[in-house]
Formats: sequence, C-alpha cells, structure tokens
Amino acid sequence: MLLAACALIVAGAVFLTFGVREKDLPQPDAESPVQHLEERKGQIYENLRDLQFEYRVGKLSDEDYQKTKTELQTELAKVMAQIDQILGASPATAKVQPAASARPEPGTVCPHCSAKFDKPLKFCGECGKAMVEGAA
Amino acid sequence: MENLGALAILLALCLSAYAVVASVVGKLRNKPLLVLSGERAVYAIWLLLTTASGLLLYGLLSGDFRLAYVARHSNRAMPVLYKIAAWWGGMEGSLLLWGWILSTYSAVVVWTNRRKFRDMMPYTTAILMVVQCFFLLLISFPENPFEVLAVGKGITEVPDGNGLNPLLQYWTMAIHPPMLYLGYVGFVVPFAFAMGSLITRQPGDAWIHTTRRWTLFTWMCQSTGILLGAGWAYAVLGWGGYWGWDPVENASLLPWITATAFLHSVMMQEKKGMMKVWNMVLIAATFFLCIFGTFLTRSGIVGSVHAFAQSPIGKYFVAFLAVGIAATVYLILDRLDYLKSDAHLESVLSRESSFLFNNLILLASCFAVLWGTIFPVISEAVTGEKISVDAPFYNRVNVPIGLFLLLLTGVGPLIAWRRSSWESLKRAFRWPTIVGVAVMVVAAAMGALHFYALVSFGLCAFVMATIVMEFWKGARAIAAKSQQNLIAAMIELTHRNTRRYGGYVVHVAMVFLFLGFTGAAFNKDATHDVRVGDKFTIGRYDLKINDLLDGDNDNYSWRKAIVEISVGGSVIGTLEPEQRVYKASRQPTSEVAIRRRLNEDLYLNFAGVTNDGKNLAIIQSYVFPLVSWIWVGFYTMLIGTIICLIPAKVKMQHMKTETVGYVKKNAPVHP
Amino acid sequence: MPLYIRRLLLVLVAGLCLAQSSSDMLTPAIRRVGDRLACLCGSCKNTVATCSMLGCHYSSPARERIAKLQAEGKSDDEIVDDFIKREGKRALAVPPAEGFHLLSWVMPFVAIGLGLAAIWAFVKRNSKPAVAPAAVDAAVLNRYQAEIDKDLAKLE
Repeated sequence: MLLAACALIVAGAVFLTFGVREKDLPQPDAESPVQHLEERKGQIYENLRDLQFEYRVGKLSDEDYQKTKTELQTELAKVMAQIDQILGASPATAKVQPAASARPEPGTVCPHCSAKFDKPLKFCGECGKAMVEGAA
Repeated sequence: MENLGALAILLALCLSAYAVVASVVGKLRNKPLLVLSGERAVYAIWLLLTTASGLLLYGLLSGDFRLAYVARHSNRAMPVLYKIAAWWGGMEGSLLLWGWILSTYSAVVVWTNRRKFRDMMPYTTAILMVVQCFFLLLISFPENPFEVLAVGKGITEVPDGNGLNPLLQYWTMAIHPPMLYLGYVGFVVPFAFAMGSLITRQPGDAWIHTTRRWTLFTWMCQSTGILLGAGWAYAVLGWGGYWGWDPVENASLLPWITATAFLHSVMMQEKKGMMKVWNMVLIAATFFLCIFGTFLTRSGIVGSVHAFAQSPIGKYFVAFLAVGIAATVYLILDRLDYLKSDAHLESVLSRESSFLFNNLILLASCFAVLWGTIFPVISEAVTGEKISVDAPFYNRVNVPIGLFLLLLTGVGPLIAWRRSSWESLKRAFRWPTIVGVAVMVVAAAMGALHFYALVSFGLCAFVMATIVMEFWKGARAIAAKSQQNLIAAMIELTHRNTRRYGGYVVHVAMVFLFLGFTGAAFNKDATHDVRVGDKFTIGRYDLKINDLLDGDNDNYSWRKAIVEISVGGSVIGTLEPEQRVYKASRQPTSEVAIRRRLNEDLYLNFAGVTNDGKNLAIIQSYVFPLVSWIWVGFYTMLIGTIICLIPAKVKMQHMKTETVGYVKKNAPVHP
Repeated sequence: MPLYIRRLLLVLVAGLCLAQSSSDMLTPAIRRVGDRLACLCGSCKNTVATCSMLGCHYSSPARERIAKLQAEGKSDDEIVDDFIKREGKRALAVPPAEGFHLLSWVMPFVAIGLGLAAIWAFVKRNSKPAVAPAAVDAAVLNRYQAEIDKDLAKLE
C-alpha cells in the first residue's frame, strides 16, 4: 500500500516533468518589437490626461501646465518616431495604421477640445482656450 | 504515511534543483522543450508539496501522535480550526507552509506567463526555484516535519499531544501567520521578475507592469498579518499593548517598510522611467529582509526567548543571504548601463522630489528599527557588555520620523509632477493648514498638552483635509462636466484612476492608524485589590464590583468579576473580566473585558487573586483613548488596497499601432 | 507566530508568580525612575515602569527597591546608578549616550543625513540643464502633432 503510493507519486512527478513532447509547447503570444514603446506611449498619454485633470482642478499654474504639456507631447512624438522607425525597418511586421492625416495648418485645430476651424484662430471658438502655444 | 510525506518533500527538492538547471540550460542552449520541462517541474513540486501538506494536516486532524510534530503542537481536545492552525504552529510546519505557498505562487506565475516573456521567464522560474530549493532543503534535512518520535529503536506513540497553547486559540491567531507568510513569500515573485528582466535586459518596465497587482496584494497580506497580530495582542494578552518593539515584530515590520517605499518609488519609474536602479535595490532589499526576518525568528540570534527554539538552521540562512545578496549586487552593478534613467528632474519643487523624501524617511525608519534590533548584538560583540534597547528607544527615534512621514503623506499628493509653483502650492495648502492648526488649538484647549500628540493631531487633520479636498475638487470637476451628483462623480473619479484614489484611501487609513497610536500618549491605568462592593475610579469611569464568581468545567477553572460601570452617576453597563486556568496545560489565560468605543476603550483584566490570606481579586483597569482607530484604519486600508487592485475604467484609447502575427525571432516557434 | 511563543513564555512566567498582591507601587515618582530602567524579565521590551505583567519577577522587586531607595532620600540618578551597579548597563532601558553606545542614537540620524546628501547628489546630477528645447524636438513634435491631438481629444 505504502509502496504503491510512493511509486505512484514518484511516477506521477517524473511523468509530469519529463514527459514533455513537442506538441505540448505552448504557442507564445505574438510579441511586438515595439511593445515597450507602446506601453511608454500609453503611459505618456495617461500622464497627459492626469496633467489636464490636475490643471482643471486648479493644481497647476497656466505656465507650468503649458510647459509640462509641451514636454510630454515632445516625449510622445519621440516615442512615436521610434515606433515608426522600428516598424518601418521590420518587413516581418504587418502594419495596420491609419494613414497619417495631412498635418493641419497650426491654429485650425484646438489642442484642448479638438474643434476644427477653417481659418487659423488665436483662441478656440468652442472652448475659449489658446489655440497656439504661448498665445495665452 | 510519514515516509510518503518525507519522500514527497525530497522529490520536490530534487525537482526544484532540476527546474533551476533545466530552465537556465534550456534558455542558454535554446531548447524550448527543456524549458518547458523545467516549468512542468514547478507544477510537479506544487503537487508534491500539496500532498505533503495534506499528509501533515491529516496527521494533525487524526491525531497521529507518532509524529513528533503532531505530538508537540496538537492534542485530541482541540477544535478543528486550531488543529489546522497547528500546521504553522511550529518551526517545521511553518517552513512547510512557506514552501507550499511559494510553490503555489510559482505555479500561478508559470501558468499565467506560459505564453509570455519567453526570454525572461526561464530566469524568473529559475530564481523562484532557487528559493524553493533552499526552503525544501531546510524541511528535508534539519527541520523535517515528518520526523517520528523514535525512542530506542521502535516507533513510539504518545497517548495525547501537548496541544496548541490556549492563548493562541483565538481566531485572529489562526490566520495571522498564514497572512504574514502570504506577504513574506509574495515578494519573491516581483524579485524574481526584476532579476529576470535584469539578466535578459528586457526593454521597458515589463517586470513592473506584470507584478504591479502582485506587489499590492502581497503588501495587503503583509499589512493584514501585522495588524491582526497587533489586534490579537491587544485583545488577548491582558495588558492592552498592541506593539512591543520585539525583534520578532520588528522583523515583520522591516520588509513592510521597504515594500511601502517600493510601492511609491515605482511610480517614478512607471511615469517617467527614473529611479530604475533604486527600484531594483528596493525590491531586492524587501525580498532579503523577508528572508532575514524568517532567519531572525528561527535562529535565536537576537537572544529572544520568544522566537522558535534554538536551531542549527541559522547558518543555512546566513549562507543563503550572503550568496543571494552578493549575486544581486553584482548583477545590478554589472547592468548599470541598462538601468540608466530615461528622464531628468525638471524642478526641485515637484512630485518626484516628494517621492525622494518619502523614500528617504521610510528607509530611515527601517534603518532605525533594524539598528535597534541588532544593536545589542553589535554592542556585545564590540564592548563585551550587554545592553538593552527597549521600547523607549524605538519611540524616541521613530516618533519624529513617523510624524515627518505623515506630513509628507499630506504634502506629496498636492505637488504636481515635474514642476509646481509656490503660488499654486500656497493656494493648495491654505485650507489644510488652517484646519490642522485649528485642530491643534482645539486639542490643546481640551487639555491634550503633549508635544508629539499635538503635532500628530494637527498633522492628521492636515492630511485628512488635503485628501478630502482632492476628492472634492476632482468630483466637482467631473460633476460639472457630466451633470452627475457629487457622490456619483466621486465614484466615477475613483473608478477612473483607481490606483491614485485607492492610494488616497490608504493614506486615510494611515491617518487613522496615527490617530490610534497618538491616543497612547493619554493612556491611564490602575491596579486594585478588591472585594465585592468595592468601588474605584479610572478616568471618567466609576467602577463598582458587583460580584465575584468562580467555577469549574472539564477544560478549565475560572474566576470572574462582575463590574458595574458608571459615568457621572448613571450606569452605562457592566464588564465581566475573567481568568481561566486550563487543566491540561495548567496555564492561566485572561479573558479581558473591553468596552470598545471610538473615543476610548475601557479595558479590564482579572489578573489574579492576592495570596495574603484575604483572597482579594486583582483587577487591572486601563483607559486607552482612540485605540479603536487602529482597527478602523486596518479596515480602511483593506478597502483602499482593494480599490487600487480594481482595474481603472478608462483604458487608453489612443491609436495603437497594431502588429499582427509577429513572433520574436528567438522565441520558440511551434513546429 | 513566534510572537505568541514569546507571549506564551510571558504568561507562563506570570503563571509561576501568580497569586501575589497587586502592590505594584506605581507612584508617579517610581514611574519617573522606572521609565529609565529596562525590565529584564527576559521576555518583554518594556521598562520597569511600563511592564504590566502582574508580579513580574524583575519589575515588581525593582519597583520596591526604587521605593526603598527613594525613602532613603536617594536622587533619581543615584538610584539608576545603583541598578547599573547590580545589573550592568543592561539595566538601562535605552543605551547610554556615551562611548560606543552613542552610536545607537547617532546612526539613525547619520543615516538620514547620508540620505539627504544622496538626494542632493541625485538632484544635482539629474537636474535638467535649462536649455531651450532643441529644434529637432520641435520638428519631431510637429510631425506627430496631429496624431497626438486626435488621440488626446479621445482621452476624456
């Protein structure tokens, strides 16, 4: 009885450990070469969102807000550039990205509420905030 | 049966060593099958240890007193719950629990990541298994839980065991140790991921993202374990203390402090990619302090009679710690270039620097506690003279440090990331400061003339005001935009960023804890020898002994006082402190009577009977102001941490550059 | 858990000396001196004044001794010295602030000082030089501005 139980657990453990076959290999998740950059990007967006919220509840001065925002956006742009660079150099990758829209003339899209205007404006007609950095 | 258990442990030991080798060699030689076999070994170890634990539990429940462990820690009369609790009531069993929890965690980690991090996982598995191997080594040889009572040559059975101490037969004590272990052991996982990502130079902070919830959960278990222990000491031991600065308690506090520092400073890395080296150091320190704490309580090095019995396993721990720390330090130094910071510090007046100070203060208090714990050993080694480092030392050093930490709890969250101006800070701090000062004035006017207590009350109010303002301002902003009422907006606010607002709730819990600690400055106590009809006073309470009873049953004999409590002439209730002497163990225990209120607890202990021939009852009476807030803080902390664990509602909706069907070149590919 | 082993011993010892009188004699004067003396009963980290174990085999006689010496007109310091003579320096609740033992008090604050120095060094090394954002940055930002704006608009 005891011997049988001992034999059973030894056999079980050994079989579980050493009985691995090729078809047991799990298919690894597709790993993107820009995974960490995508994460970084998401984080910067989150930082931007936090920043916007903190500004709205009055924790930041206008000047600090603008400065930090520009910095974050610059960082974001750099990360995006890096992503494009890596993906562009990697033919193994199927890239599903909406065609980059033509860059609008500065002052026609509000950076705060994304309202669009035909003519460049200094202040947004929708939310009233500065349309161009430094105009405030 | 004991052979089966011992065999399972031995086999698990072999497999853990195999898993280390298979994972590393499989990775280096690029043999995915070998790596998989290493992962399978992790599951096998879990099964084996579950079997062994099951056998030990069966032995405890069925009263198999041939086993030395069962005979020492269980008996026939014990309720089932405490028979189970005897699993971790002694050294061997508790080490088995350690090993079993670790094997469970490892199996979960390996399973959930079986398709991910194919580069890093072999090393993570290997590190988990190195730790597993170490603990299995301990329970295979020096501390085997399946040892039989062998007198002479035959196996002898004793008719009944010693049983678990009656004092420990209290519900919080049954779950305090496993909670603490869930915490202690849990930090192995983030450590293993950190080292794995260091070895393979993973890009980004994958190890942090993967282990974020893990770390929080572990931290919660650790906090729960510590506070349950405090609650037990308060309610059971008869002296109303909840923290004694005992080496064993300190050992559980140290990794908690470094873990708290880690939880904060890791945000710097997530948000900005800074402090990478420091976070590595903190998670490693937390892990090694967990091992150190286990070592401290089990080796008798601090000369504490309360720890487990003197045992030869101390040197195993020293060797493990020395090798582990050396390897970690080498690895970090070797990979400094990989841990280079991505960002700069924009301004000294920023959230970043408030985190720096938070870490400094936490680490300072960690160091002070560690220093006080080991100083007697150092001092004796240097001067040859024994000295005492008692509670007053810890209080004197840690109270100012703690208060400063409380201040930072209030200040930190109000400073914006990257930069802040004095102007906006002044605006943000105006009301909290006014509230804090007002509370100090009121407290002083009410007669709380104790410097630290006054500062603490003021700071508690200050921090509370900052947090309330954070919730209120945020909710108002959301309410204005979405036309919700304030309560709904507050829930929405919390749901949007659960980590931040859950974190605030934990800060509120800290305020409650500090409030509870501060109450100790105004404790009152008195001891009286009384007979029926006697009256005495403590604080605002008039106590009258209505009756003194005694009795006897199968399990214990008891004495009890019926005490009538009145305030200002009107009776508000009775308390019945009791003393029991258990027959099996001939051990007296106190069944203290506590009138718990948020403002203060009235605490009576029937301490005994005088032996001067008069047979008077000795009643110890205490008033503990605000102590209940510690338990309120505990529940608040649980709620806060659970909020942090809930995923935030707003997931990033930015345009993702999607990659389809891309498989990394060196990852194992399905044939 | 080991914590309860300690409590266990504590209570066992209490059990042995059970059934004594409660003449703990904790007058404010005794408390004042007792606060400076460690309870050496072996299982607690309290002082002679705060050990609440009934009939503690160290604290109770210690309190009586303090009372006796006070009755003889000894000053607080003299009483403490008397305890040191009998038990050695370990009779003190906290390490004396002299010689090697001074380290016990100084080190935590030295640690804070070192930490502050480390922070200072860190801040100095990591502070961003105050230069205007390079033109390259602006160019990169310009290239992606539209995409960023579009994403940002979706955030709220």
